[in-house]
Amino acid sequence: MRRPALLVVLAAWLASAVSVQAQAPRALVVQAATEPPGLDLTATPASATAGVVLYNVQECLVKVDAHGKLVPWLAERWHTADNRHYTFFLKKGVRFHNGRELRAADVKFVIERAMNPETKHPYPQYYANIGDIIVKDDYTITFSLKAPAANFLLNLARQGSVIYPREAVDTLKSAPIGTGPFTVADWVRGDKIVLKRNPEYHVKGLPKLDQVTFRFIPDPNAALAALKAGDIDVSLFGLGPEHVADLKKDGRYEVIVGETTNDVVMSMNNSRKPFSDVRVRRAITHAINKADVVKLAMFGMGRVIGSNVDPLNPYFVDLANAVPYDPARAKKLLAEAGYPDGFSAVLKVAPQYYYTVRAGEVITDQLKKVGVNVKIEQIEWGQWLDRVFCRPASGCKEPDYDLTIIGHAEAWDIGNYANPKYYFRYDSPKFQEIYARSETTIDDNARRDLYVQMQRMLADDAPVVFLFIHPRLVAARKGVTGLWKDLPIPSADLSEVGWSPAR
Amino acid sequence: MRRYVLRRVAAFVATLFFLSALVFVVVRVLPGDPATLILGVESNPETLARLRHAMGLDRPLALQYIDWLARAARGDLGTSIQYDLPVGRLILSRLPVTLPLALMAAALMVTIALPLGVYAATHHRRAGDYLAMLVSQLGIAVPAFWSGLLLILLFSVRLGWLRSGGFDGWSAGPWTGLKALLLPAIALGAFQAAVLVRATRSAVLEILREDYVRTARAKGLAEIRVIRRHALRNAMIPIVTVMGIQLGQLVAGAIVLESVFALPGLGRLALGAISARDLPVVQGVTLFVAASIVFINFAVDLAYAALDPRIRYE
Repeated sequence: MRRPALLVVLAAWLASAVSVQAQAPRALVVQAATEPPGLDLTATPASATAGVVLYNVQECLVKVDAHGKLVPWLAERWHTADNRHYTFFLKKGVRFHNGRELRAADVKFVIERAMNPETKHPYPQYYANIGDIIVKDDYTITFSLKAPAANFLLNLARQGSVIYPREAVDTLKSAPIGTGPFTVADWVRGDKIVLKRNPEYHVKGLPKLDQVTFRFIPDPNAALAALKAGDIDVSLFGLGPEHVADLKKDGRYEVIVGETTNDVVMSMNNSRKPFSDVRVRRAITHAINKADVVKLAMFGMGRVIGSNVDPLNPYFVDLANAVPYDPARAKKLLAEAGYPDGFSAVLKVAPQYYYTVRAGEVITDQLKKVGVNVKIEQIEWGQWLDRVFCRPASGCKEPDYDLTIIGHAEAWDIGNYANPKYYFRYDSPKFQEIYARSETTIDDNARRDLYVQMQRMLADDAPVVFLFIHPRLVAARKGVTGLWKDLPIPSADLSEVGWSPAR
Repeated sequence: MRRYVLRRVAAFVATLFFLSALVFVVVRVLPGDPATLILGVESNPETLARLRHAMGLDRPLALQYIDWLARAARGDLGTSIQYDLPVGRLILSRLPVTLPLALMAAALMVTIALPLGVYAATHHRRAGDYLAMLVSQLGIAVPAFWSGLLLILLFSVRLGWLRSGGFDGWSAGPWTGLKALLLPAIALGAFQAAVLVRATRSAVLEILREDYVRTARAKGLAEIRVIRRHALRNAMIPIVTVMGIQLGQLVAGAIVLESVFALPGLGRLALGAISARDLPVVQGVTLFVAASIVFINFAVDLAYAALDPRIRYE
């Protein structure tokens, strides 16, 4: 009887050895175009930081999922009766990477720290509306708002709202601790960041990978070469649209072209002549063939838009043809406004964002046909922020530009048009009034109505030319599974990413 | 000779002093508020003002400079805003990439350029000369980042011999380190060699027309000895001058190639610091690079004396 038992053990051992052999690789190398300036999401707005940390290392009470939906996360549910008092019930048994369990007191500490101006939080306005935070017990916490705020839950899911243990505040910058599926194992400055699997992760069966390496490769062509040489498995943001056709032809790779919340617009300085005249702004919009801009500047990738709200937003209305391409009409409008022979203007773009220069070249050519002579001026990003974006907080008084192109990557950013001091200098009391109402309207249908009104108003008033949605371009080796198709929030959530066993 | 060295050292210090002031002013006069670049466009004015104060940006420029200079003189270049690490330590941590890269490129440059330049000169107006000049013209015309990409395509993508970029550090073994630096060193060295070939050729050509070369040949000296003992030795002064200038340019070239090959070197550090307005790092790296270049020039001046006994600088 002993011999068969031994055989069974042997067979089991062999089988396990074979299954280990057949198991898919559990490590992934991801290209990151820029190195994070630090890993503390409560101290930097850098999307490079969010790309590594958000939802991978640190998580929030609420999460924006792959489809842009708000889902319960560290809070397993919440409750509000009046839209002013929100009670969150925390998931039990969630452990930080240092082994300690997440408690309501941590949440209170984190949000209060974000509200404290001494701590230099990059998004203080997300929390400006919070009055009291009361810890009921270890797993229950109530937020009292000064007024109803429609975006309160969304703000708790954003990168500035990650939850970390209070004892780890001092190491957030270089070795952040959180509750996420991965821990920061190593950061070789200038080269790579290595994340390791968190074996205690609170979602069963995740993450699927044992190790993720973010390698910093700034040059898109070098990134493409690294992908082809097999040195990286995935490029999330690093490739340009010009690389897609070539990669799609190659059977070894999979290319994902998805939506983002990044609306690329050409802003016209509304406080400056001639752009202070709505007829001129509409004429410019009519004179631009957006489909051609996408075709020539983006190799056909990117969705044409006609207003500010992006297609991932539940209140999105397609207004791409609201002010269609019509150069004859553009000329007529220009004549009505007193510019029958057109005028000259300067377009300032920052080549750090390649698409702004390319789109600018196409638009310059198109505007020439209606008599508007545009000169392109390339400036460095820091200068762009200082001169064009012109924040009053930085001591800037008047934005110094005629035309400029940039992508607005934030989700739910229509409020920018309600701010007359924003660099558009679009000042419409009516729009501001509707926006203010939308911020305190919680009923979904009523709020949708207001959002539709605002989108139509922006299309008509044309404070900027709404050009296109910057596409999400992901290239991965065949066999990588679970990558997000769209990008509703600037995260590179890798918790469900793995390798298909067939590989 | 001692007075000469002393004078050069004094000039060295004065140059650094001037450069430091220039860099300090330039990075501050540039538009672009460091506080906004760090905290983003949604931060509030109060927080920005606090950060500016913490960075000392709200103090008069002259005071900021004197303060920085006093610290720098003690070897303290400040703390990086991005990385929260001492600038000196950051620079030292990047040197093991950039220095070997520059040295490998320089070695490559000399081993290619000197023989090729001499060959072209001795085969003046013959096929070999034209070929050498054509190759060097190509080398000058092709930017190093592009030839770098071509090298990646050939050796990493097509042949799979070398990695396309990245650097695991020297702790992974000297051979691994050298392999990581090989392609960028070739791209950088070949580009620089193209310039040096032409300098070598024209310097040697000029010497070959001298009377003493004709004399040497007339007394029956073997051609190889004529070249080595008379022509090359005397041509070295202009060649060394060009080499010195090019060593300085290697650093600039390294900035570009470190991006293409994703190497964590000094150039990448500087580039990242400029776009993030990490002023202490920008100042520190610029000062360091400037000091290295001034030092190279200093070494070149000394080399003159060694090469030509007539030069004594008194």
